[in-house]
Parts: sequence; C-alpha cells; structure tokens
Amino acid sequence: MKIIACYSNKGGVGKTATSVNLAYACARSGKRTLLCDLDPQGASGFYFRIKPSRKLKDRAFFKDVERFVDSIRASDYDNLDLVPANMTFKDFDIFLSRMKNSRSRLKKALKAVDSDYDVIILDCPPNISLLSENVFKTADKIVVPVIPTTLSSRTLEQLYSFFKDNGYQTKKLLPFFSMVQLSKKLHKESMHILRKKYKGLLKPYIPFSSEVERMGVHRAPVITYANKKSIGDAYAEMWKDIEIKTKIA
Amino acid sequence: MESFVYIVHSDVSEKKLNKLLPAKTDYNIQIETGEVVQGVVLDTFDNAALAQSLLLLGLEGRLVLMNLKTGEFLEQEVAGEWRFAKDLSAGLVKELLSGLADLRAFLPVAKVTFHRDRGALLDDEGKTRARYSSLVVHHKKSITCLGSATSLRGYQSGYEELVSLLQNAGAKELTDVFAFYRQLGIKRELYTNKPVLTLDATAPASETAAVIIRAFIQIARRNESGIVADHDTEFLHDYRVSFRKVRSVLSLFKGVYEPEKTSELKADFALIMQSTNRLRDLDVYLMEKENYYKMVPDPSVAGLELLFEYLAKERKKELKKVVKDLQSEEYAARVAALTSLFKSSDKIPTGPKGALPSKLLAAHLVLKRYNQACKIACSIERTTPDSVVHDLRISCKKLRYLMEFFTPLFDEESIKKLIKTLKNLQDNLGKFNDYSVQQAFLRHILDHDLGQFKGNEIQISEAVGALTAMLFRLQKKERNQVMNNFSRFNSEETGLLFKQLFEIAEVE
Repeated sequence: MKIIACYSNKGGVGKTATSVNLAYACARSGKRTLLCDLDPQGASGFYFRIKPSRKLKDRAFFKDVERFVDSIRASDYDNLDLVPANMTFKDFDIFLSRMKNSRSRLKKALKAVDSDYDVIILDCPPNISLLSENVFKTADKIVVPVIPTTLSSRTLEQLYSFFKDNGYQTKKLLPFFSMVQLSKKLHKESMHILRKKYKGLLKPYIPFSSEVERMGVHRAPVITYANKKSIGDAYAEMWKDIEIKTKIA
Repeated sequence: MESFVYIVHSDVSEKKLNKLLPAKTDYNIQIETGEVVQGVVLDTFDNAALAQSLLLLGLEGRLVLMNLKTGEFLEQEVAGEWRFAKDLSAGLVKELLSGLADLRAFLPVAKVTFHRDRGALLDDEGKTRARYSSLVVHHKKSITCLGSATSLRGYQSGYEELVSLLQNAGAKELTDVFAFYRQLGIKRELYTNKPVLTLDATAPASETAAVIIRAFIQIARRNESGIVADHDTEFLHDYRVSFRKVRSVLSLFKGVYEPEKTSELKADFALIMQSTNRLRDLDVYLMEKENYYKMVPDPSVAGLELLFEYLAKERKKELKKVVKDLQSEEYAARVAALTSLFKSSDKIPTGPKGALPSKLLAAHLVLKRYNQACKIACSIERTTPDSVVHDLRISCKKLRYLMEFFTPLFDEESIKKLIKTLKNLQDNLGKFNDYSVQQAFLRHILDHDLGQFKGNEIQISEAVGALTAMLFRLQKKERNQVMNNFSRFNSEETGLLFKQLFEIAEVE
C-alpha cells in the first residue's frame, strides 16, 4: 500500500480538486483507492455526494482506529472509497495526540485498512500541525499544488525549509503547477524560474479550467463530465507520473 | 461486500420499485435499461457451467456470463466460431470456463432474448447507496429475471432497504440454479455418467443386476445423438464406459443369470461396442496431439504432421461408419430388445446365485476382487512380465466398478474413501496401459498402413520411431511406480476398512 498526501501550506491552490481528481484517476487505472479527507473544511465528501455520518459521532465508545475504519464510504465509482471529513475528523489532531508516539500514529490508523487498498490519498488541511507532521512522516510522497506566482513560490520555499529543519525527507515532495494560465506572463516566467530551482517539480501541470470550478455543481470528479478532454487528460497524465515516482506497481 | 442473488418471475420496473418505497423516504430507484438482444443459453451436455452456478449466454460476437453464486457479471468478446473453452481467446469468461469441462463442447440450450439492467438506490443528494444488476430473459412466452444486489462499503442500511424492496417486488433468493430453466419452460434433463442407484440390500441379486444394467443402458443411449452429431468426444466415451459397465455386471455377477444366457448377453453387448473401438482409439490419439508434438525432437515434427493428417482423415471415415451403424434399423432393433429385456428382472432366466440377497453377494464379490488384486500385486517384481501388470489393472478396475455399483448398499462415506485411495493406483495403471496401447497402435500403422504415405514413408517411420521410444520410456516410468502406489493403496488401514465393510456384511 502506498500513501500519497496532497498538501499545501497555502489555501486556494486547488488542493481538494487535485485530491479528488487524482484519486479518481488512480481508481480508474485499476488500483483500489481510498481518499481520506483530513481537512475539516475540505469538500472531498461533498464532491462525491457523501454525507458525513452523524451516527459516528454518537459512537464515541468505539476505539479510535475502529471508528476510522467504520467511517469509510464507497463512492459511486469502482475501486474508489472515501473517508469523509466528518465531525470526528475535526478532532483528528486530538485523535492522534491521544495515541502514543504521536508522530507515527497516522500510520497505525492507516495500517488497519492496509489490505483493502493499493493507494491511500490524503487530502490534508493547509497548516502545519501535529496532523500534517504525521502526514510528512507517513506519506510515501507528498504532492504540492503550486500556482506559478511569486507568493506561491515563497510558500514552497518555506515548505522545503521546514522539511530540512525538521529532518523530513525533501525528496518526498512532489510539487506541481496548478491552475496554470499560460496566457499570463507572470505564470510563464514563474514556471521558468521555479523549474530551474526545483528539479523535483512534476513535468505535467494542471491548467486553469472553468470545468474544475464547476465540480461543485456537478458534484463529481471533473473527468466524468468535462466536455473538454484536456483537463481530464491532465489529471490522468499527472497521476501516471506520480505512479512512476511512487513506484506503484 | 455483501450480495443478494435473486430470481423473480417478472421484469421489475423502475416505476414499480419506486412505488413500493415508503411514502416518506430519502431514497429513490433509478434503472438504466440495457439494449434488448437475441442470444442463446449455452452449456455442455452435462450442464458443467450451470452445475457450477455459471449461466452462459452467447450473442453476436460476445459472451455474457453471470456467476449465480456471487451475482457477478463477466463479458468477453468472441471472434468466430467456438465450441470448447480452449477455443476462446484469453478473457474473463474463458478464465472461468477453463477447467470446468475441457473435453466438453458448449452447445445451445435455448434461444432467448434478454437485456441487462443496472439499477441503483440513490439518496436525496443523488449518492448511490446500493446497486443491483439484473438479467431479464425471455423464452417464447415466458420471462424470468436473475439479478443481484450488492452492498457498498459504509452503506449497509441502504443495501438492506434495497434487498427488502426487491423482495417486496417478488424477488426470491436463488437457491436452485435450475429454477431458471423451469421458469422459462426450457426442458433440460440432468445428465450424469455416475448415477446414484436405489438398491435394496435384501432383494435377489438378479433384480439388483437388472437395476444396474438398466441404468447404464439408459445412460449409454442418452449419448447416441451426441455421437451422431459429433459434438465432442465425451459422448462416445460415456457411451462406451456405460456399456462396458453393463458387460462388467454380467461377468462379475457370475451365476446370477443362467450361464448360457449370460454368454449370449455378453456377446450382444460386445457387438454393440465393437463398431466404435477404432473411433475411440482415434479420438484418444487426436486428443493427445499436442502432447505428442512436445515429445518428439524437431526433425520428427514434419512426419508427425503427416501422421495426424492421416489420423484425422481416418477419424472422419470411422465416424461415418459409426453414425451409419447407430442409425441403422438393425442397431435400433438390437438395442431396443436389450433395453426391454432388462425392463424387469423376470424376463431373464436366473442362475444358481440369482436368489442370493444383494448385499451378501455384493460384499462377497468386493472382498474376493480385493483379495485377488492383492495377490496379483504381491507377485509383481521388477522382472514380472507386463501382462501381469495388465491383469492388476483389470482387477483394480473391476474392484472399482463393484464398489461404485454397490455404494448405496454400504456406508457411503467409507466406500467413497476406499474408492479414493484406489484412484492414484488406477491412474497410474491407466497411464501404463494407455502408453502400451498407443505403442501397439503405432506399430499397427507401420505394419499395415505405411502404403498410405507414398513418398513419405521414411518421415512417417522416423516420427513413429521417435514417438514409440518416448512412449516406451513413459510406460516404463509408470510401471516403476506401480509397486509404490499399490503399497500406498493397500495400507493396513485400507485392508482393515475392506474387512470391516465387507466381512461384516457376510455375517449379517
């Protein structure tokens, strides 16, 4: 089982769209996929029409790991399940801190579903917390959406420094360009500069697309409804590249 | 994932299911109806697919297979004609059919029209809570629908809701796969070459012999049309094995019928089988074709090709003869006379043992045969002639037949255990015999048929030589294993079991 996190220390960069569409591309390639929405404000569940379970909240007597497993819901697509960000996961940090060895607790929780999935994709909240540090430790790779602007490049720099300062492996980071508008001079220039600086930047990029914005209307992965093939292809191509870099058989 | 595989005798519409939902519900049903297509239900003569809960439908360029145990649907494209699982290109359907009945042809059972529907139970946000898939099949004026509902992870209650909805619409859990045929009015007789007979332990032996013979004549005859149509080689095989069993009963139940009548009957049944001997030999040969190609060195392959071309032609000729024979009035009259003779046991004059209670005679015969096999086996050493090994084979075969015939008279589990322990040895002896027969067959070609291969005599002789050498080596290998396999069969435990089962019967 491989764990891939989708993380950004900056909001509004298309992180949830990336998680949802990559998870869909992964499932479509035949891998049993679990998308975990760890972002309390996240909308992965919304995009799959999955309601947070009220019942789970009332079952506090359950052990935490069991509660995690019980919260898994099948999506409407083959090979793709989801852990929606429900009430319980607002307190994911608390959940993790309750367990011993807080920094590897996430791994322990995910181990419970190890045989059920080939790939687990984590949609992470945009901050640095106990949870995100668990993610940095546990994930095999961390994909980081970056809008090619000056501000985004500064955030990426911060992330790399944080990794170095805290002894996390920077080679886990797989930044990629998100919401790219090649018609904008700034985007083009930023991409050029950043590619020189960060050799790990993924080659495929995700163009800005109004189709992605409409995901909230369709409540489905963009590939399932997009008229323009290109946006769906972009995610599929990006997933292929991530698969190779993560050595997913 | 849970599933509910069901049968319902109507086409359950979206409208009907939605009507059955409670008034205040967040759920609704949506069905995507598939295209109506014409197709044909396929299975082997012995229902190998359906017996394994697999329903196979053939349609233009495609196969649809429903697993009636799991509710899963599989599809595969088909290019051109096919009869055997091995003829199919690699695919999901082939995977499931392979190993089911590799020697059996898949034949049309009935013409049908059908459509595959996919349905879902959705919540108020349009999220699927449970799914189902169904196959609605029409045959003449009948209709039936096979379907399966499956749960989705985390949505158990939705699944339960869907199952109860389907049940309210008339769906019943599918427990008997043949209900499908019955509902559609498709007449499909069950076929087995190993019938479970109803025998009476105290009935006179002559009566029991008639029951067994009657059953096997019937099985043999059910294969006649399949032999004529040349669907697959198993028809002839079963036909011959059944008549061989009839002959075995006659010779094993010595003294049950009047000796003269017994000889006459034995000759009658032998005559029926005789005309099919060569066709069966050729079938066995052609079946082994691929193995033979693997056995001989490359330079002999060309000769082997010529040889197999010849054998295939011979088979065609031989089949024509057999078909003509089976369709002749003479054959019909002969078989009809024998069939009617065994309809009741009182038509045949009985011998001195005819009135013995069946179980007593059965026990006696089994034990006698077992002791005989042991005696032969004990005499076999490295230098013993092959003919003795052949005797052992025949003795074991008779022992096996006896135990199979009489299974209903004894503790079924014990007797099945004994038959099973005998199997390895029998396989071993069977192969030993096959290799020997095949060598003789090849020798016959060299001695008598070489004239058929004008200009290619050397190539043929070479191929036959190479093949014979390999067969000889294989036969020797089998022979070397006979002693080991026998001692494995004849353990102390087996001997004890034989005595327990069959000596006690004698006391009774």
